[in-house]
Amino acid sequence: MKVDFLKVDLSDSATALREHNRIVRRRFGRLAAVGLCILSVVVFRRLTQGDWAISSSRVLELLSPFLSEAERATPEAIVVRSVRLPRLLAALGTGGLLSVSGAVLQGLLVNPLAEPYTLGIAAGAAFGGALGFMANSLLVGPCAFAGALFALLAVQTIAWRSGGGRERLVLAGIVVNAFLSAGVTFLKAIADDRLGAIVLWLMGSFAGASPGAALVVWAAAVCTVVPAWIWGRQLDAVSLGEERGVLLGVDERRLRATLLCLVSLGTAAAVGSFGIIGFVGLVVPHLLRLTIGPSHRPLLILAFLGGACLTALADGAAQNLGELPVGVLTSMIGGPFFCWLLLRREANR
Amino acid sequence: MNAEYRFSGLSAGYDGVSVLHELSGAIRPGVLTALIGPNGSGKSTFLRVLAGLLPCRGTLLLAGRDLRRMPRGELGRLVGVVPQQIRMASPFTVCEAVALGRLPHQGLTAGRSAEDERRLLRAVARTDVEYLLLRPVTRLSGGETQRVMLATVLVQDPPVILLDEPVSAQDPRRTVLVFSLLRELTAEGRTIVAAVHDVNLAVAFADAFLAMKDGRIVVDAPISELDGRLLQDLYGASFEAYISERGNRTWHVATDVRR
Repeated sequence: MKVDFLKVDLSDSATALREHNRIVRRRFGRLAAVGLCILSVVVFRRLTQGDWAISSSRVLELLSPFLSEAERATPEAIVVRSVRLPRLLAALGTGGLLSVSGAVLQGLLVNPLAEPYTLGIAAGAAFGGALGFMANSLLVGPCAFAGALFALLAVQTIAWRSGGGRERLVLAGIVVNAFLSAGVTFLKAIADDRLGAIVLWLMGSFAGASPGAALVVWAAAVCTVVPAWIWGRQLDAVSLGEERGVLLGVDERRLRATLLCLVSLGTAAAVGSFGIIGFVGLVVPHLLRLTIGPSHRPLLILAFLGGACLTALADGAAQNLGELPVGVLTSMIGGPFFCWLLLRREANR
Repeated sequence: MNAEYRFSGLSAGYDGVSVLHELSGAIRPGVLTALIGPNGSGKSTFLRVLAGLLPCRGTLLLAGRDLRRMPRGELGRLVGVVPQQIRMASPFTVCEAVALGRLPHQGLTAGRSAEDERRLLRAVARTDVEYLLLRPVTRLSGGETQRVMLATVLVQDPPVILLDEPVSAQDPRRTVLVFSLLRELTAEGRTIVAAVHDVNLAVAFADAFLAMKDGRIVVDAPISELDGRLLQDLYGASFEAYISERGNRTWHVATDVRR
């Protein structure tokens, strides 16, 4: 029982498809070029500017891997190689990681409000870090990492015991977040003279970032971004809605477990080292989706670039404003900006 | 591939409440099977079990293999589903969403090939959604979304297609288009099961029917055996047959619905 109207000339839709592919590629190319330009400027300025102005040519010389031992010991070299470069790399890696993590979680949980801190990871790190301050300030980083891992385990266990699924995960995250935030408040209340240090750390900062910490955060970023990009099309299917991924042959449970673990461990490493830097994982992916669309493979690359640039810029501004906590700046910029995004989306409906 | 379903003692439900009770039978390839029955009779649950979306007890074989032991990726290549409730959460364009149908056939790092695009264009033409190609799926009507889902399944190219009320939001012309397409897919040797409420569509297009009531298959027969008495038993309403000038018989429900 064949009917004639099923035989349609494909030439028009083929042209439309080609045009669509061309526009998507062109938009991605332009955004990537803009991102790389901003990144170059940020890198240049962050390495050359500061209390001690060092020319760009001298910075390039000092960054050479073939620098002699004597030159490495000069104050100039120490400032560039051991202070500015680790701080810049830490800011870039953390920003890129948080932004990619936000994009992954929003797709994976089909929840536009999901970000690395939704699942209680930040509250866990904050609680662990605050406990570290109470014991010994050298233990802050490891304790924060352990706290983030504890929060992740608690959220996964509660979600699993209550039937699993992404809604349960988000709800479990809210519960753990509330509980651990109360714990942080309690610790602040009994902290006495350590209160200031705890509050400052909680607001996040890259000041004093060590090369080791920068390396850890970049390793975490690579371990998150590469698998997320590889599973980008599976993420596309899952983000389409309830059971869409499963119907297209995606093992949603395994994908969710793997990516959640990678994102959470990465975030724990970043928060454990540099404190809580909010809104990067929320604002950057949402802003990019407006221009590039929801497809994850291009989105993740641009999200890394965008998050890295935003955080490094915010760190530069924080330093210029008298070493303000960078988390305060990202939240102050991110909050109103996210409101604007929401209002714009509502106006476009 | 002989994508035949065989099932026996099949039971399933939600939260410990059994919805399907000890179903037994077979669904053959190359046959368009209509799944009919009143609301709450278990049609959607049965389709979810056949799609491997819902755990079940008993025996459930697809192409001679236990469906529940098949990896998810393989099920994605074997079974395509057009669900009843479709809510698109991300604003992918129609062409991007339909192209995702190739996912079960692609390697992890692979992108969209020229062959994939050829299949995509053919699918959107066959389902009459090519004029929507660049529109976000979040801005489609119910009927358009159903046809986009069907296009995705065509791109998926599975030997089994399960549809839960695929024309519930279609206008009359698109209803005929969708069922004509299902007939073509049946002629290609695929196993097609469609849950429908309109018994006349079943009579016009299906080869066989499974009538469900209270979580049980009460009749499994060729569509020619569907009659007014069976419909009355199934739906609790009188049905009257009308013969058109072309000789086609259609069933109309009488207004004295039994309560």
